[in-house]
Amino acid sequence: MKKVNNMTDLFAKLDDLKSVFRYGEKLIPIIQNIIEFMRETVPLLENINSSIEESTCKIPKATNQIINVTNATEVATTEILDLVDEISNNLSKAEKISEHISDQNNNRRKIWEKIKLQLFDEALISEYEHIESDVQVTSEQKDIFSKIKEEIYRITLSLQVQDITAQQLAAVNHLIESVNNKLSSLITDFQYADIKEPADTFLDKVAGATFDPNARYHDKKEAQDIADSLVNSHYEKTSQTEIDKLFL
Amino acid sequence: MSLKFLIVDDSLTMRRIVINSLKNLGFDQFVEACDGKDAYDKLLNDNSVNFVITDWNMPVFSGLELTKAIRGHSDVKNIPILMVTTRGIKEDIIEALQAKVNNYIVKPFTPNVLREKIDQILANT
Repeated sequence: MKKVNNMTDLFAKLDDLKSVFRYGEKLIPIIQNIIEFMRETVPLLENINSSIEESTCKIPKATNQIINVTNATEVATTEILDLVDEISNNLSKAEKISEHISDQNNNRRKIWEKIKLQLFDEALISEYEHIESDVQVTSEQKDIFSKIKEEIYRITLSLQVQDITAQQLAAVNHLIESVNNKLSSLITDFQYADIKEPADTFLDKVAGATFDPNARYHDKKEAQDIADSLVNSHYEKTSQTEIDKLFL
Repeated sequence: MSLKFLIVDDSLTMRRIVINSLKNLGFDQFVEACDGKDAYDKLLNDNSVNFVITDWNMPVFSGLELTKAIRGHSDVKNIPILMVTTRGIKEDIIEALQAKVNNYIVKPFTPNVLREKIDQILANT
């Protein structure tokens, strides 16, 4: 009886084994597909890895170039400001000369009024006065001077864009460096090795990266309006009505 | 009262623009500082400075830290401080006010706004 039971067990196990083989038959093509897939994927992954490595090596160069751009724009802006100052100074000199000429003309006109009384040739007087009126420093000239001054000043104010752009670039740099750090750690995890610094790219660290990532150059008043309203409410004196309410 | 301004900004461009604007408004006395620490040292060594115009984002010592340091020093705590910065969000402005800046300008500024804020500060101090 025991023998029969053993045989039954044996057949049951053989059936199990048969199922395993059948399952294996189905599994083998899948495993083959996986191996095939990996054969195709591994070079791709290696390619991606080397691309990441290459890109990571280039990032310090990119950040360095952004710093160079910032420095270049600051130098250029300083040059523009120097020129603007020079133009302003020359304009002030021209204005003074013009005022001096105007004063001289006024003096001459006063004397001319006296001389005129001694002359009798009306046609000559009229001809002289016609010429004289052309050489007067007119109020129109003064307006032109002040308009030029105003425009020069507006150029100066527009140069605020340099500071704002510099902050935006610093923010971009910060972002690039964060990506760089992430990629570097990814490569380190992948290769169990540190990323190599390229020999030709010396990275200047963004010293005390102080910037406003939200810096914007615009002529809208919204931000100043918010500031004004907050400043006003902060420094607003408590009204008598409000004080009275406390004692009710 | 004759005003002597301490202009604090790490951007040379901005310092020049602020000074040009102040000159246009008729002021002629200025001291420059390139960060909060530099400003604080200059302020403590020059008691003729009586108005501070400062940026917020600066290396070493920010404009906010400078404000707090000034308000915490008995010799200079009452000096008017005008913050001129790109930081225009509400939370930042509130933080600056809590640090006791007297007024706040969001860059880019116009000469009218600068004049207006200086006048407001002088009227209230």
